[in-house]
Amino acid sequence: MSPLLHHALVGFIVLNVVIGMVTYVTLLERKFAARMQSRIGPYYVGPHGLLQPIADALKLMMKEDVVPAAADRWVYNLAPLAFLVPCVLIFATIPFAPGLGVADLNIGVLFFLAVSSLEIVGLFMGGWGSNNKYALLSAMRAVNQIISYDLPFIFAALVPVVLRGAFGWFVGAYGVLGPLAFVAFLVATLAAENRVPFDILEAESELVAGFRVEYSGMKFALIQLAEYAHMIATSFLGALLFLGGWLGPGPAALGPVWFLLKAMLIFLVVTWVRWSFVRIRVDQILAISWKLLLPATLVLLMVTAFVVAARGAGGS
Amino acid sequence: MADAEARHVIEIGYGGNERLVMNMGPQHPSAHGVFRAILTLEGETVVAVDAVIGYLHRCHEKLAETLTYVQYPSIASKTDYVSAMTAELAYVAAVEKVGQIGVPKRAQYLRVLVAELQRIASHCLWLGTWCLDMGGALGGGATIFLYAIRERELILDLFEALTGARLLYGFHQVGGVRYDLPAGWPERCRQTVDLVDRRLDEYEAMLDDNAFFRVRTQGVGVISRELALDVGVCGPLIRGSGVAYDVRRTEPYSSYGDFDFKVPVETAGDCYARYRVRMVEFRESIKIVRQVLDGLPAGPISSRPGVKSVGQVRIPKGEGYTRVEGARGELGCYVVADGSAKPYRLKWRGASFSNLSILPHIIPGHKVADVVAIMGSVDPVFGEVDR
Amino acid sequence: MGETWDLVTAVGRAMGVTFRNFLRRPVTVRYPTVKRVYPDRFRGILALTYDGETGEENCIGCRLCEYICPPQVIKVEMLKAEKRNFAKTFTLELYACEFCELCVQVCPTDAIIMLKTFDVATADRRELLLDKDRLHALGLQHEPSWATGNRLRDMQAPPKPARAETGKTEAKEPAE
Repeated sequence: MSPLLHHALVGFIVLNVVIGMVTYVTLLERKFAARMQSRIGPYYVGPHGLLQPIADALKLMMKEDVVPAAADRWVYNLAPLAFLVPCVLIFATIPFAPGLGVADLNIGVLFFLAVSSLEIVGLFMGGWGSNNKYALLSAMRAVNQIISYDLPFIFAALVPVVLRGAFGWFVGAYGVLGPLAFVAFLVATLAAENRVPFDILEAESELVAGFRVEYSGMKFALIQLAEYAHMIATSFLGALLFLGGWLGPGPAALGPVWFLLKAMLIFLVVTWVRWSFVRIRVDQILAISWKLLLPATLVLLMVTAFVVAARGAGGS
Repeated sequence: MADAEARHVIEIGYGGNERLVMNMGPQHPSAHGVFRAILTLEGETVVAVDAVIGYLHRCHEKLAETLTYVQYPSIASKTDYVSAMTAELAYVAAVEKVGQIGVPKRAQYLRVLVAELQRIASHCLWLGTWCLDMGGALGGGATIFLYAIRERELILDLFEALTGARLLYGFHQVGGVRYDLPAGWPERCRQTVDLVDRRLDEYEAMLDDNAFFRVRTQGVGVISRELALDVGVCGPLIRGSGVAYDVRRTEPYSSYGDFDFKVPVETAGDCYARYRVRMVEFRESIKIVRQVLDGLPAGPISSRPGVKSVGQVRIPKGEGYTRVEGARGELGCYVVADGSAKPYRLKWRGASFSNLSILPHIIPGHKVADVVAIMGSVDPVFGEVDR
Repeated sequence: MGETWDLVTAVGRAMGVTFRNFLRRPVTVRYPTVKRVYPDRFRGILALTYDGETGEENCIGCRLCEYICPPQVIKVEMLKAEKRNFAKTFTLELYACEFCELCVQVCPTDAIIMLKTFDVATADRRELLLDKDRLHALGLQHEPSWATGNRLRDMQAPPKPARAETGKTEAKEPAE
């Protein structure tokens, strides 16, 4: 079949798989969090709660769509889409196995990082269009935070790219720079995803869902979908860059399975952190980013570049 | 609402002259009850706060005039419903003071026992809800909340075995208490208290040195010693600001003088200091519980016979005020008796009511996120505030 | 540098506590399939009792419970008969009841008691307006709590000289 059809088919499959994964990842998070809190998570819908995400999806689809009277109609209605599209588009560049990807871009990582920063536009549209002081406050905090953390995120993600020039194992070849970059990547992910301890933007106890507060029904579902899709996408990116992607023991056909497992590992670590800490204030979040994380990742990237240049000049 | 001169508004010189008036309304996940704070914001900084209370007013003081001394103790527990035993104790002790009714030693020890267990349970709820406010319903705050509630449930199980109820007990009566310890209860109590002691180590491991927690609470909501004494706050607020005032020490009631316990005092005056005060209070309450169980004397649990009719207790004319150390501070009850079976007038001094008056002094200058941290460390219960 | 190390250890400690709780058994009691054990003195819903030996209603219609109830949810009408009195009607508004156990406390004949169940949730508040028949039926259906009027008053009474031994008050507790 023609390459266009091939890519379109793979894209369609990937999109559906992503949406399915997003719903089940919420269940995974809920059960995992529940066990950490001495309780069982969803239990009654389906055996051990396995049908809970489907029940949630059906509920959201059937809910009434309440639009605030004074909301800015176009901005309000388009915001979930503007938020969703970048978050799903980044899946186009992730190769699930050598050659098995939607779009095989040689600037894949840069495309990922650039497009994932576009979600901030949708977020701010949601906060502004809702005509709600709480939503606006949260959107302003979010813009601040995500912009501040995109830079360390990009630098941390670039370290393995610079080191290898391609994707592969990081242990052994990367020594001490890889794990440091991985830690910085995780911290930047937490902040770029608005996860605790950096989730001042949603802050249920102050701003009650932040910029999402005026959304209900299917629009809310789209926003949730986008958030979790972004989370999974960055987990995939982290697995690809730092944990070796599809490499693993066994036949090559198991590659995507290993990839998935590694991505879920990152997701679980992020979830573990989320359910263990209180959040910190927005000015403290920004202070951490500008005063600690950005200089650290910058220095790390420069050192990486020097190491590679030295290796290239002195070695093979 | 406060009139213009009494409001504490600070000038920041922010540059952007737009002030936003935001309502942290009575329905709010972290309002600790029904509390309305009208915040005036410049950007993220609060410059003024107007507190509006009264959403939970249930006419307790009028109700007490229509109910007899026998009926009201179960209602008294509904003022500070999180710490119900100390609320009932305040009322019953006031009536006993006015009527000069003695309380047998065993009853006094039982009162101390339940009051201290109640303090542990109330502080568990405080810790849980405070971390929930700061950490989010979906996040680390919820984890600590569920751990704290898990421990609180153990203590509520003890109370359930003792009285039959889990939250609002009706345990005290004029002249003593209504229930004696069932068989096997002291052992169970010891085991529970030991378990809570061990779990407290876990909470402290999660919170004490945690940089995220410290950065949220240190330096936030500082109440200086002078301010605390001026405004008249009580309980952990004043003990966190360097004043060693604990009603159990200054005016021992119900045989508190027989027990050896420390009154924790911190000098920093910020949310972290109040947190440390309450964490030490946990341990001290556990110590007192163990001492009571070791030294519980045998004897009657009431100096008056059990209630057989509604007008059984008649207090001669007189008036008196008693104060007890509730979990939130000094809870006081002023009773004016006129010789009949009902009081002529009852006045509650709510600990949280006085504590809330510190808010306009300490919140301005902080960010919106600090408002929840400060509210949590003040730990109001609106049953006490609005009655 | 030391600060960063402190931060790392603090983070590790907190995550360790969470992990340890992950390995513990959940404390959830899966009601209603699993019910927890209610203590003997549990204050559940109210009921009227019959005499154990004669099978007659215990209630003598004295209305002491009506007078003592703080929210005034009990209404009793007395029916006079030759040997003893009865209650002609006895209504209890369970939806307004505070479960303070004062009515149980004052009852001279242990007629009104509380049960060890609370499960009368309904969508219609009128079902919670319990009349005498319903109260008696509930008393037969469910397990009663240990606390009856006489037992409570015995527990509270100062001991008479004949009973003034140590721990005599503890002998009133239930077997469990």
